[in-house]
Amino acid sequence: MDKLYYRLRIYRSMVSINIKEVLAYNFWFWSQIGAHVLLTIAYISFWKALYSERDSIAGLDMQQTLTYIILARIVMPLVQWGYTQEFGYWIREGTISSELLRPVDFQERIYIGHLTRTFISLVQQLVVVGSLALFVFKISLPTDPLVWLSFLISLLLGCSILFCFDWIFGCIAFYSTEVWGLQVVRGSILLLFSGVLLPLTMLPTELQTIAKWLPFAQSVSVPVSILSGMTPLSNLGSIWLQQLAWLGVMFMLSRLMFNFSVRKITVQGG
Amino acid sequence: MLRYAKLYWHFVIQRFKILMEYRLNFFIGSISTVLFQGASLVALWAVLRQVPSIQGWTFEQILLIYGLLTLSKGINHLFADNLWVVGRDYIRPGQFDRFLVRPINPLFHLLADRICHDAIGDFIVGLSLVSYAMVQLHLPVNLASIGFIILMVISGGVIFIALNLITAATSFWIMDSIAVTNVVFHTNEFAQYPLTFYHRSIGVLLTWLVPYGFASYYPASYLLGHAIGWMAWLAPLVALVCITIAYRVWVLGLRNYGSTGS
Repeated sequence: MDKLYYRLRIYRSMVSINIKEVLAYNFWFWSQIGAHVLLTIAYISFWKALYSERDSIAGLDMQQTLTYIILARIVMPLVQWGYTQEFGYWIREGTISSELLRPVDFQERIYIGHLTRTFISLVQQLVVVGSLALFVFKISLPTDPLVWLSFLISLLLGCSILFCFDWIFGCIAFYSTEVWGLQVVRGSILLLFSGVLLPLTMLPTELQTIAKWLPFAQSVSVPVSILSGMTPLSNLGSIWLQQLAWLGVMFMLSRLMFNFSVRKITVQGG
Repeated sequence: MLRYAKLYWHFVIQRFKILMEYRLNFFIGSISTVLFQGASLVALWAVLRQVPSIQGWTFEQILLIYGLLTLSKGINHLFADNLWVVGRDYIRPGQFDRFLVRPINPLFHLLADRICHDAIGDFIVGLSLVSYAMVQLHLPVNLASIGFIILMVISGGVIFIALNLITAATSFWIMDSIAVTNVVFHTNEFAQYPLTFYHRSIGVLLTWLVPYGFASYYPASYLLGHAIGWMAWLAPLVALVCITIAYRVWVLGLRNYGSTGS
């Protein structure tokens, strides 16, 4: 009897540990979403206060700006961090050597994985931040399926451009073996020049020029402007051509950079 | 007390030795906060240069609020950053037991174990913003105003630490508290703008439930000469109440603590 009781006690603590583990991941997921929602509320309130005394800023009225901002908040978690961290991890742990030996192209594999995570994140953000927009802030999102489709195509192109850029960026880890600093620099440039914080037309002209020559706007400002109605659909042709050109150049550079720097690889402790 | 001060000094020296082994990381850590906040501030400036003010608040006045909040945040960042990871890095791997068998207060040991130098960035940003705003707004810079700011920043810092301590203590029950801390901590973002920008309920929340408002909005309003009465001087009292409650919760959690047994 005592033995049975003893076993039951062991089982009980094992179950409780497992519950705790599952909850820990779930908690973290909801906590991230919760923090994002809080920030979104603070940010939208800021813009509402800004518009409470005037009708337009930089030619944009309140409805346009708020729609833009809330949609940018939906896209932001998709692009915020990139995967430089993983690059650094593979190199530090030495797993990169086995990653390179697999029969599927390395870059292709990472790309598919990255795209999948981006898509899941998009759906999550659409549901959570989207309902916040609709029910709390009464911001109407577009209903035309054509606009959504154009947005998705542009976002896919934009995320692919950013993926290639991050790939080039990640290759620096082959030389520096230190990724946290790279992440910080990338993150803060992205914050200002991608259009996650404000419509880029509100920046002074010099900063707008810089933003135009950096790839970040392609993944946030360009698609979000389409979805929020700031970019008329008639411009789509030239926008997609530009995005394809960006993608072509970035892709070639990323291949070159990788082939060049992979020779430099020093696996730490591997 | 003296013994703890001496001990703390030893911890600081040890930490500094570690940091000097990785000088590049030391440098990057310090400027990381500057870069991120710099980007947000440029965006804020880009918007506000087009308008004279928002509901009576000018760019410089908002910077004052932002700067005060950043300084308070810096205190928390410097002295109590380990509260974030008490679950993940200490309780879960069984490291926390180490603190319990030593003849010093476990909370003291936890905090002293990792002084976070990244806070230097917060102090650089906060100090520059507050001094820039004070000069631009022609606010009196004298012993009284500087003393007031120091008192308020310390109170604000204590409020930050207290709230993180309460959320960190939940890891005694749920093992890892980062998720809880993360949500509660992020409500401080509301306090970087004037509380009047928000729905009334958010203002009440930021004053009485998660009182980050006392770290930024109320002291800034007082410095700017707004009529907020005794609310201007409430911060130290609020800080005291918060930290007392927080420490009680921590002790309660500690009593509930059973090791992970690994």
